[in-house]
Amino acid sequence: MTSVPLVSVFSADDSSKVTAKHIPLPAVFQTPIRPDIVSFVHTNIAKNRRQAHAVNPQAGMQHSAESWGTGRAVARIPRVSGSGTHRSGQAAFGNQCRKGRMSLPIKVWRRWHRRVNIKQKRHAAATAVAATGIVPLVLARGHRISQVPQIPLVVEDKIESYEKTTDALNFLKRFGAFEDVQKVVSTKVVRAGISKQRGKKYRVRKGPLVVYFNENAKLLKAFRNVPGVEVVNVTRLNLLQLAPGGQLGRFVIWTQSAFAHLDKLFGTYRYTSIIKDGYQLLRPLITNPDLARIINSNQVQEKVQPAKTTKVLHEVQKKNPLKNSKAMDRLNPYAKKQRAAAVAAIKANTKGTKKIKKNKALKKASRAAYNKVAASLNDATKAAVQEEQDIKVKYFSVQKGAAQTE
Amino acid sequence: MSQQVLWEVVKGNNAFLVKRNGLTLSTDPFNNTGVQTYSSTGFISKNAVGVVPTSGKVNQINNINLVAKKSTKFQQVDRKAKNTQSVYASTLAVKHGVHTASRVIRKRFGTSRVGLQKAALRKLVKLNRANAVRRRNELAAAKAQKK
Repeated sequence: MTSVPLVSVFSADDSSKVTAKHIPLPAVFQTPIRPDIVSFVHTNIAKNRRQAHAVNPQAGMQHSAESWGTGRAVARIPRVSGSGTHRSGQAAFGNQCRKGRMSLPIKVWRRWHRRVNIKQKRHAAATAVAATGIVPLVLARGHRISQVPQIPLVVEDKIESYEKTTDALNFLKRFGAFEDVQKVVSTKVVRAGISKQRGKKYRVRKGPLVVYFNENAKLLKAFRNVPGVEVVNVTRLNLLQLAPGGQLGRFVIWTQSAFAHLDKLFGTYRYTSIIKDGYQLLRPLITNPDLARIINSNQVQEKVQPAKTTKVLHEVQKKNPLKNSKAMDRLNPYAKKQRAAAVAAIKANTKGTKKIKKNKALKKASRAAYNKVAASLNDATKAAVQEEQDIKVKYFSVQKGAAQTE
Repeated sequence: MSQQVLWEVVKGNNAFLVKRNGLTLSTDPFNNTGVQTYSSTGFISKNAVGVVPTSGKVNQINNINLVAKKSTKFQQVDRKAKNTQSVYASTLAVKHGVHTASRVIRKRFGTSRVGLQKAALRKLVKLNRANAVRRRNELAAAKAQKK
């Protein structure tokens, strides 16, 4: 980083007023983001708050049960001795048995806590602090920061003297942090599972984290009752609060003195930390992680060979040029002209021939002849019919005559 | 902060991630495709434009806001700026029609990131159309009520 990013300190009473215009960002905020370290440290440190518990060591074993052995047509599991009750003769002791002890009963001396190397813990904390200063990460964690004037948000020390919750609430409202608190309030749910009977009735989200410096600060009590808000001293920054759930990017509100103390706490890249004895901030593996910029830089582009274009040798499906005119044109560009010429030639050949015009006179004559033939046919049929009629009449009249004469 | 580094942190889990029915989707306001991918996840990039629908009255011509992502180098809100500002975005209400909005998008992207540009424009057009339909229906309903 050639230029040191600067940060403004806001007045506690008025979010538009800035009390200190440009303060350099403490070196912690430039620490490389190492989610792997944070994840590892978080999973282990999260175990350290666990309280030992165990199953009653005698549970399921308070019987003088003995196996009946073979030959009795029952399973060989130990059975409760005695008589006079349902329980007698029932299976006992096994994890599979009803009322039996569990397999591998939990012992109090289970390894509840994990120790993590100090350096790893410190690196994790530093990364977590750095992540609180990166807006996309805070957004990704789900904080509502659309109204917040600046990230990281640094406010003058006046808030450390807040005693009343109303002061605290108004302060949060002024700095756009109330949206996050509202989110916490509206997403409070009754927990699923048995835990609700064991004192963990609600699942509550995390809101802003307020970090102060002076030990006499009263703001703890002022912010205590605001849902979601946690208050912590800089000297006791906790990874479990900076990266809840192992997720980087908590929304943090720093007081000015707390912010200034960070350099002493974590040290810089020029000096090791004073308080964390000999601790040196983690150095990035790559100083410039912006791959796109590296690739497009002049230095790289100068050395890089021109991009290879994919050479298409042939089309995926073979087209027959004898049938597909476009395919033919690709092979023989003159084919198009040839085809056009052929069409033109045909047109030219047929140009002289006249269309056959039907001769009107011919038409009339042929029609007359046809009619004549049709008429003669008609007459012939008519004559035939008449002849038949005559015959019929003659025949019947002869008959009639015959009848009459008789 | 480099987009690559942020992606490595954010891709596994973030507040906008929605995994349903085997799909990995995103409710990121800067994401115009709806699917969580490296290039479409706008909130980790330096410049991105989100086309965001807003709830508004019938009289509002377009209930669309353009949310432009700001560079995170100096993360402070510019109070003198005309558009609604936040630490990470400046919001522009699309009042003067879709064409001016599309010009804003085109200017933002220039000749680069054509895919993202197209996605933003596509969403703008779709929202605009949906809005027109909605407005038409509401006006008709208002008219009917008056009668």
